Amino acid sequence: MAATFVVTLREGFEAALLLGIVYACLDRFGARDHYRWVTLGGALGLVASILMGIAVTLLSGPLLDLGPDLVAAAVIFAAVGLLTWHGWWMSRHAQALRGDVQRRVAEAEATRRLSVLGLIAFTGVFREGAETVLFLWGLVSQTAEGASWDRLAGGALGIATAAVLGWAVFHGGTRLSVRHFFTVTSVVLLLVAAGLFSTGLGKLQGLGFLPPADAFWDTSFLLSDRGLVGGFATGLVGYRARPTLIEITGYALYLVVASALFFGGRRATGPR
Amino acid sequence: MHRFVLLLATTLAAVVAPSAATAADPAEIALTIEENRFQPEEVRVKAGAPFVLVVTNRDKTAEEFESRELRIEKVIPPGKTVRLRVPALKAGTYPFVGEYHEKTAKGRIIAE
Repeated sequence: MAATFVVTLREGFEAALLLGIVYACLDRFGARDHYRWVTLGGALGLVASILMGIAVTLLSGPLLDLGPDLVAAAVIFAAVGLLTWHGWWMSRHAQALRGDVQRRVAEAEATRRLSVLGLIAFTGVFREGAETVLFLWGLVSQTAEGASWDRLAGGALGIATAAVLGWAVFHGGTRLSVRHFFTVTSVVLLLVAAGLFSTGLGKLQGLGFLPPADAFWDTSFLLSDRGLVGGFATGLVGYRARPTLIEITGYALYLVVASALFFGGRRATGPR
Repeated sequence: MHRFVLLLATTLAAVVAPSAATAADPAEIALTIEENRFQPEEVRVKAGAPFVLVVTNRDKTAEEFESRELRIEKVIPPGKTVRLRVPALKAGTYPFVGEYHEKTAKGRIIAE
């Protein structure tokens, strides 16, 4: 039970985290009526995951060898792009949103731009979705064939726990003042996106599109990225116990560039 | 008839040509998943030479071949075979697991 719990919690956590953040963003922007974009994005992500799961079981040959991985890599880099855009957008509008006209500005911007949050929800769910669907499906079929319930219960509990954590992120986010919310969210988005970016680079290395390399260092004796804590660290800050030089460099470069985008402009638009 | 011979010849050429080219292609190593275990659990390969892992899942449930060291994460649906290209490795041990059954599905590649 514990093993399946860890698998689904690990895979569901990142999606839940992103969903919690984007819902909280809408709340803080005063654009709760745009929740439906996020709900729609998340639901479409789920549908896409199920379709992908079905497709994977139908495919064979080179299409199965490479197809799902190319889709996964594309989703990862799309997510990085969207999160970067969102962080940058928030930094640009933080001042306006904080001011007296917060609600009105937010409303105006919301109608034009906030559908992007739906895309973030989509990529967040779709990223690990197909794998989780196949895993859960396996658990269901094993249980149907007479295996004990606890493995399936563990898997379901993992998803439920991830959902609760996502809700906690949302709830915590909406309780922060708008100013603190922007700062905290920007930092979290920065780390999540940096982690995703380096994961994507690692995936390209595994697929042979980037030159392979050995681990640059090994901290698995300190914190394994397979356990519960390490799994959270992977979802939150992109922790890897044995990163390659390309992954480390990508992570650092992303941090530098995105920090400039997220926080650099703030001085210029600061109070004068 | 002529058309048939031509078709046969082109089909043959299409089948033979790639396999003739495979002479220098990477070695293939078969790996089977059965009862949530890998068979064999230890794979020995030549260091410095790329190879292909041909993983067949004989179980009724999906498995995910995962190796953090090799940066491979690959779902293998029940009854399917997947070919995983592995780049040239330095000498050493590279563990892998079946993520969905981590307790039992464990193995390692030893490059030497």
